[in-house]
Amino acid sequence: MRRRRDVPSDPFSGPVDLIAMVPVASRSTQRNHAKQRLRRGIVIVAATAEGTRTTAGLPSRAWRGPYVLPRALVAVRSLLILLVIWQCASLWTGNPLLLPSPVGVVDALVDLLRSGELFDQASVSIARLMISLVVAMVLAIPLGLLMGLLPLVGEIIDPVIELLRPISGIAWIPLALFTFGIGGTLPIFIMSYAAFFPLLFNTIAGVRSVDARLVSAARSMGLRRSAIVLHVVLPASLPSVIVGLRLAIASGWTAIVAAELIGADSGVGFAIEWYRELLMSAKVLAFIVVIGLIGYSANLTITAVHRRLTPWAVTAELR
Amino acid sequence: MSARHFRSMVLPVVLVVLWQAWAMTLPAKSAAPSPAHVVKEFGALVSSGALPSATVQSLGRVVLGFVLGAMLGITTGALMGAFRSVHRNLDPIIETFRPVAAIAILPMVILWCGTGLLAAVAIVGYAAFFPLVINTAHGVSHVDRRLVQAALTMGVKPSTILRTVLLPAALPSIFVGARLAMGIAWTAIIAAELAVGAKAGGPGGSGGLGEMMFVDYSYSVDLNGIVVCMIVVGIVSLLIDRGFRAAERRLLAWRL
Repeated sequence: MRRRRDVPSDPFSGPVDLIAMVPVASRSTQRNHAKQRLRRGIVIVAATAEGTRTTAGLPSRAWRGPYVLPRALVAVRSLLILLVIWQCASLWTGNPLLLPSPVGVVDALVDLLRSGELFDQASVSIARLMISLVVAMVLAIPLGLLMGLLPLVGEIIDPVIELLRPISGIAWIPLALFTFGIGGTLPIFIMSYAAFFPLLFNTIAGVRSVDARLVSAARSMGLRRSAIVLHVVLPASLPSVIVGLRLAIASGWTAIVAAELIGADSGVGFAIEWYRELLMSAKVLAFIVVIGLIGYSANLTITAVHRRLTPWAVTAELR
Repeated sequence: MSARHFRSMVLPVVLVVLWQAWAMTLPAKSAAPSPAHVVKEFGALVSSGALPSATVQSLGRVVLGFVLGAMLGITTGALMGAFRSVHRNLDPIIETFRPVAAIAILPMVILWCGTGLLAAVAIVGYAAFFPLVINTAHGVSHVDRRLVQAALTMGVKPSTILRTVLLPAALPSIFVGARLAMGIAWTAIIAAELAVGAKAGGPGGSGGLGEMMFVDYSYSVDLNGIVVCMIVVGIVSLLIDRGFRAAERRLLAWRL
């Protein structure tokens, strides 16, 4: 199915598209379309003042630029081309150890699914992700509320946070290996650490950006301080907290994979390293695909939560 | 010293004093780090030259990889921002790879490029590519259309417009991307060095701060050395961040 390109009605808004903006007369694609129309017997009559043209037989349908494929089909086409290039490259290499073919990776995925190993490792990692998110939220959100509401607390705690923040979670791995040993605690610690900072900063920012008039209104209606925090400040800063949660998931998922790769005996990060040592590249790539999928669906989930809980604050940037 | 300064100093000082007090209650042979030992270790590592050389090694890898990632990312991003068809075709591919962290492709990179400089550059380039491509594309496509239309009216060719109008106007956004990319790249190289150090086994595997930390962990069991490395990692990432912000303020003064 083919669809027409939508041209924004306001010429000063919408994303820049050099091709669409170059004057019509110098655009070969549109010239070709015009020629085709002429050949088909449709006559282009006039150019209106807005620059959109109407055709004689179909006055209601404005000429809206060349035909383009719908977005989803373009995406499928791009990914198919990528897969074909990958397949050709793996044929050219001729070494499934160096570059397994996409078919081989799908085989490996099916194998791992059937044996249940994929599910086991992925659920371990996802459980760690959940636990550490909860830990980070329990620590960061109350602290952020305190720091945002009481300037004195903010002033005292802030320097320590600013000292710790540049030290990435990954840099804690050796010390954490020493403290916790190889196992489940280490990835949870690293991920909680990585998720803590974005959550804290976004909570503080959210609390500080609450409309002062809302708080005054609640106060003039005689609400107690605790009630104001619970019913006014918290809901009003929720969008910011959720954005923080989204950033926390992104940085935490990276950290958890790194932590599992170095210091755990289970999970997807461990699995890619394990199969690399066994030189089973197809399974390594299969797990890389799984890591991408989990990261992607975590992001989708949090976007859905955002739409659901705070529909008034969904911006265009958040797809 | 103002009251504000005093308040900001209180908690860090209290924490360091508590840490030192806790370390002094431990038996003398304990491996646990203490502030005094960390300072001593820092002096020893600097005077032996091991710490500066490891830092320079890690930084060199990051800079090389960053330059590669920036060249690819800014070019791709500019094309994606300027031409909707390029954006529609490439965006699905980029969004497919974006959730895969640089550290997750490390095993494949080791297979393809070994554990040398090439692998490091590939990892850092991959990590730096995504923030740059996304921010460049966003910046270029949100340039005021009137600027482009003005240039078109004056008969400028589209390729020249991309170079002389769109890219300069998108610089603030590209800078944000570059700052994010450099931060992620620095984290990625430490992780990669750690992982390579952990899996290659033994000192002399890859070099760099990450490997130094791992050697301190598994061979010399020197927690003070690890803490020194962590502090250096933090200082470098702070300097990267501040450096980019200062450059932004200087180069993009026209924005304000």
